Amino acid sequence: MAFNPKMQAFSAHINAVTLGTGDKSIVLGGENVLPFYTFDAPMENKPQIGIEISDLGLENYQAPGFQSFYEGCATMADMAKKAETVEGASFLCLYFEGADPNGHNKSVEECVAQLKEVAAVATKPLVIMGCKNVEKDAALFAAMAEALQGRNALFLSAREEDYKSIGASVAMAYNQKVGAESAVDINLAKQLNVLIIQLGVPTGSVVMNVGSAAAGYGFEYVASTLDRVKAAALAQNDNMLQMPIITPISTETWGVKESIMPEADMPEWGSAEERGIEMEITTAAACLACGSDAVILAHPASVAAIAKMIDALV
Amino acid sequence: MALKGLDIFKLSPKTNCKECGCPTCMAFCMKVAQGALPIEKCPHMSAEALALLSEATAPPMKTVEIGAGDNAHKLGGETVLFRHEKTLVSRNLYGVTVSSDMDAAAADAKLADMAKVDYERIGERMHVEVLDVQYAGNGADAYVALVQKAAAANRALVLDCADVDVAKAALAVCKDAKPILNGANKDNYEAMSAAAKEAGVVLGVTGSSLEEMYDVIAKLEAAGNKNLVVDVTGADAKETFKNAVLLRRTALKDGDRTCGYPSIVNLAKVAAGDVHLQCALASVFTVKYGSIVIMESLSYAEALPLYGLRQNIFTDPQKPMKVAPGIYPMNGATPDDPCMMTVDFALTYFLVSGEIERSKVPINLIITDASGMSVLTAWAAGKFSSSTVKKGFEEMDIENKIHNRTLIIPGKVAVMKGEIAEKLPEWNVVVGTREAVEIVKFLKDGEHIKAAEAAAASKPKGEAKKAAEETKADAPLDFSKLVYPEIQVVPQEVTYKGYNPESKKFVTIGERIHCISPVIREAMATFNPEPILKRAAEQIAAGATYLDVNIGPAESNGPELMTWAVRLLQENFNNVPLALDTANKKAIEAGIAVYNRTNGKPIVNSADAGSRIDNINLAAANDAIVIALCSADGIAKDNDERMMHCHNMLDRGIALGMDADDLWFDPLFLVVKGMQEKQMDVLNAIKSFSDEGLKSTGGLSNNSNGAPKTVRPIMDATLVAMAMMQGLTSAIVNPCDRRLMETIKTCDIFKNNELYSDSYLDI
Repeated sequence: MAFNPKMQAFSAHINAVTLGTGDKSIVLGGENVLPFYTFDAPMENKPQIGIEISDLGLENYQAPGFQSFYEGCATMADMAKKAETVEGASFLCLYFEGADPNGHNKSVEECVAQLKEVAAVATKPLVIMGCKNVEKDAALFAAMAEALQGRNALFLSAREEDYKSIGASVAMAYNQKVGAESAVDINLAKQLNVLIIQLGVPTGSVVMNVGSAAAGYGFEYVASTLDRVKAAALAQNDNMLQMPIITPISTETWGVKESIMPEADMPEWGSAEERGIEMEITTAAACLACGSDAVILAHPASVAAIAKMIDALV
Repeated sequence: MALKGLDIFKLSPKTNCKECGCPTCMAFCMKVAQGALPIEKCPHMSAEALALLSEATAPPMKTVEIGAGDNAHKLGGETVLFRHEKTLVSRNLYGVTVSSDMDAAAADAKLADMAKVDYERIGERMHVEVLDVQYAGNGADAYVALVQKAAAANRALVLDCADVDVAKAALAVCKDAKPILNGANKDNYEAMSAAAKEAGVVLGVTGSSLEEMYDVIAKLEAAGNKNLVVDVTGADAKETFKNAVLLRRTALKDGDRTCGYPSIVNLAKVAAGDVHLQCALASVFTVKYGSIVIMESLSYAEALPLYGLRQNIFTDPQKPMKVAPGIYPMNGATPDDPCMMTVDFALTYFLVSGEIERSKVPINLIITDASGMSVLTAWAAGKFSSSTVKKGFEEMDIENKIHNRTLIIPGKVAVMKGEIAEKLPEWNVVVGTREAVEIVKFLKDGEHIKAAEAAAASKPKGEAKKAAEETKADAPLDFSKLVYPEIQVVPQEVTYKGYNPESKKFVTIGERIHCISPVIREAMATFNPEPILKRAAEQIAAGATYLDVNIGPAESNGPELMTWAVRLLQENFNNVPLALDTANKKAIEAGIAVYNRTNGKPIVNSADAGSRIDNINLAAANDAIVIALCSADGIAKDNDERMMHCHNMLDRGIALGMDADDLWFDPLFLVVKGMQEKQMDVLNAIKSFSDEGLKSTGGLSNNSNGAPKTVRPIMDATLVAMAMMQGLTSAIVNPCDRRLMETIKTCDIFKNNELYSDSYLDI
């Protein structure tokens, strides 16, 4: 008997969501197969990579590789220009962590001013990541969505606590895209999508962030959530889970022990930066293999490796 | 898919003739499914059933053993494609490769580098398990020399060699280490298979395409060699991924056993010279179907994330990931620094240890064995109590290893403070924070030091030791001499109407007297009857058959508390029958000693097939009913396991002289939010109990945990209707849920357990 494998393309598709405008715009999702199962059917759009830059500059990225790459960058706009040169990254993720009231507590106006500078020089699609404080993000996103009118940007994230205000301002008033964020639980992910759609946000404007964790830190929940979301979306044609998935990686991986333990304290582990890069690569690769349609990374070397991996598999 | 016990049962004669040595055909079929008995043991199985079974009972993917001694590993044996469907069985292995065209110094350096990565993470040794030895075509001498060197490196070996003569020479020097001989292809497979068989080693199949590999496997199988792995490495990463996925999917989803072998993925061939790309691909193949993943090199930078990922992915979803109990000094803690204690649930450990690290305060983190449960769950199940803590302290010899005497316990179990202080009189027990995120502030502010000083100051000097000696765990108790407040019988507005154990009507066990409720916990701590009587009256008015009395672990005064509660409830409510619910056996015995059986036997809640199986003996010795949880350590994987536990407990009960009707089997209702795909398993288990004439019960409302209050009654009522259709005979429920109780009454009408009248709901 000859080998006769059954192929498994689904009739259901992941929604295709466009970010940005013009020739630099990108499409997340659109596939009707499991990740990289190109033998079942071609992947409609290959997974995308974003590069993260923070409004706090390199405060949280001290490794020499970051310092040398962004050398001479005085502002977030300078960093954005530099980040745009990284091959393999198709969008910029602007992380406004400085807005956190329990941290630097930068004002909305200050953050919007910074954003406008970046937007003036950036040509790739923009993804805005907030500071995770419910009240602050609502104010920040409303102002930023207005400032970015016409740019078709994605805002991360709307959560159970703030989806109404963020959905209404970002997606409905200013026609931007909104990310629905839930904490590694398929039931919560579906519920939030239902609520956002009920609010009146068009299905094609919603992207999901179903949560993440660094490899070794409860990643089994991430893997199973991604596996199950894709199974529900494709095999069961559950249109409340057919939103493409974006997964921030760098914010999870650059804080774990493996990435930050100084080489001086653990000489046998070798270079801390190299450990951080491999942690970021390993986590991103696993997320993509389980179902993320886009990942957000920080280190240029990680971006290069994951871009190569995607090209090798698609 | 492998056949399940119930599928085999369908083909069995169902005569219960006992000639196979098992009490029932069902029991026999369960054992066959477990692999404990061969199907041929049954003399009455038809020929066609036998043929069907021997084919169908073969697993869809073979388990292959490689390596010897410390380097022995199992590969394959998977039954599902995704971990959430059941569990993944064999973690993948990581390997590095050396080649016979490397000069000796380079090979030595590589082996030395490989040996550097060796550490432990959550009880698992992390090192490069496999060494791949590549033959570069430069003659047997060079290859054998390298293989000898590799064998000395003490890893499982893969001999990557398609030249039969060279392979034989290599096997001659290393076959005892049980390497994989990887190199059978369409041209040489007969000779390679002979060489592998002669040496007693696993053969690796290679080919230029998956179709070609498949043909070679089929031919090898026909020739009788099924001790195989498949090197799915293709021309590039894309083809390799396709091969790995299709091989696994065709075996497990489509049931083609020719594909049912573990895989080798050699990234040194498809991503040569690019360590970052190899790391990325290794991650992909860890998630998707690489059994052995070979890289050019593996330093700590790659190992730390990859091994962490592997540990996560191959965690059994049914079994919580556990940390080894022990003392974990944090932030450079010495024996003179304070101790903080928590449970061995891995996520708890990571949260707590992470916060302690952030505080930078030196602390000895003590992890106690709590069966991998979280703090409150372990406490409620009696797995985290002053006794388990004391036992842990003795086993870990903490009194001698740590000089400081401050012990911070989790805020969620503040109730244990007194009991722990009694059992560990030398220690100053301090109640820590309820949540891990509060730890940094707590430690930085030195709250624990202030509290420890206060605890030390309040200690009566000299008496501490004496008190500890008095509480001996195994001392016999005289139940007639227990001291508890006098029972007050007060006129009640509701009367318990009585229960006839012969009745077929559904038995509801009211769950509202439970110490996890703060009101009840407080009432039990102070022997205050009002809140308990109030909840009893509400449940009886709502139609509960039995009342459950959960007094928690009650280590210090279990017998007194249970005796008091039993008398209080029975004397006030016409001897309402009770389920005695605690991990404290003495408390259950004490409760039964004063229990009045007018309205039915007492229920022991509960036994399981694991550490609590002794509670079946307790029930047997006291002529009580026992709720028998069909689980051992963690939730049963599938219904074969549930039924195995069921039969184990049934056997034990019968052997002890119990009536089968007094074992009420609990399939363990699972929460929909999280275990939706297991719900039908639970319902089918109830059907299996019912088919065998067994009674069943369970905490049904667990299904809707975490769902909105408006939805829960609908879910509970629907599930109880479905479960009663399957034959459920009882449930532990909230009887005050009207929709649920009305559904139960209506089902009893349809099941003809109760004669219909227009007012049946009011009866």
